[in-house]
Amino acid sequence: MRSSTILLLSLIVLSAVLIGVLVARPVVTATRGGKILAFFILFLLPSLSMTMGVSSELERSKSTEFCLSCHVMESHGRSLYVDDPGYLAAAHFQNHRVPADQACYTCHTNYAMFGGYRAKLNGLHHVYVQYFGKAQDPIRLYEPYNNRECLHCHLGARSFEEGAVHTADPDLLPAVKANKVSCLSSGCHDVVHNAGQLSNVKFWKGAK
Amino acid sequence: MTAGISGLEKPLRLAGMLLIAGLLVEAICLLWARPLAFILLVAAGGFLCAAGIVVYLYALVSARKATPEQ
Repeated sequence: MRSSTILLLSLIVLSAVLIGVLVARPVVTATRGGKILAFFILFLLPSLSMTMGVSSELERSKSTEFCLSCHVMESHGRSLYVDDPGYLAAAHFQNHRVPADQACYTCHTNYAMFGGYRAKLNGLHHVYVQYFGKAQDPIRLYEPYNNRECLHCHLGARSFEEGAVHTADPDLLPAVKANKVSCLSSGCHDVVHNAGQLSNVKFWKGAK
Repeated sequence: MTAGISGLEKPLRLAGMLLIAGLLVEAICLLWARPLAFILLVAAGGFLCAAGIVVYLYALVSARKATPEQ
């Protein structure tokens, strides 16, 4: 358990105990000091606990573990452990090109202003589908994958800007940067998760 | 003073119980790392805590109205 969660749980328990004392002995609010204490216990502490709780849950929803806790994402989770550098998602995950504990969120949010919240709104739809609906088969992105998610890290990197394949055609890099040629679906890096075809692939021994 | 307290007692207890229930829901959601936990935290926990705070604040306002400054 994360230390921030332990801290938050301690705050919740403290708040609940203090509220319990106030409920059992409301007479303590008779004095001026008691009224101030009641305001602190019945307004400030619960508000703080709830704000911190929502913030903590939002942060946790970025975690790889959280994304893969839905049954429908199981094969995508397994695809991160494919023992083949040609699998884009696996290569990024296994070599920590993206933070392993936030692998899904790192590549599947748009980094624009409020992008994180937009991704989370889509996430609410995912929760609805998990419990009450039926997921698409195969799972598809809401919109074509935007090169911006790749360029967030690769733009300016030597291997990207000066790579032999990237510079062979002088029109390629400007088109990629303008999102006119897709990194993933233009035939270059098109093996990403391939979650539906994992039955015959070898998996990394370090896989959990 | 005593009359003021007994007038506040009932809403104060109700507010306290709502808040304890909301905090309990929040604690369970923090321990239960599933996608539904987030929805429960915001919907149930948030509603109970907000209701508790509103009851408390309303009790304060209505108690002040009932006992005007002397």
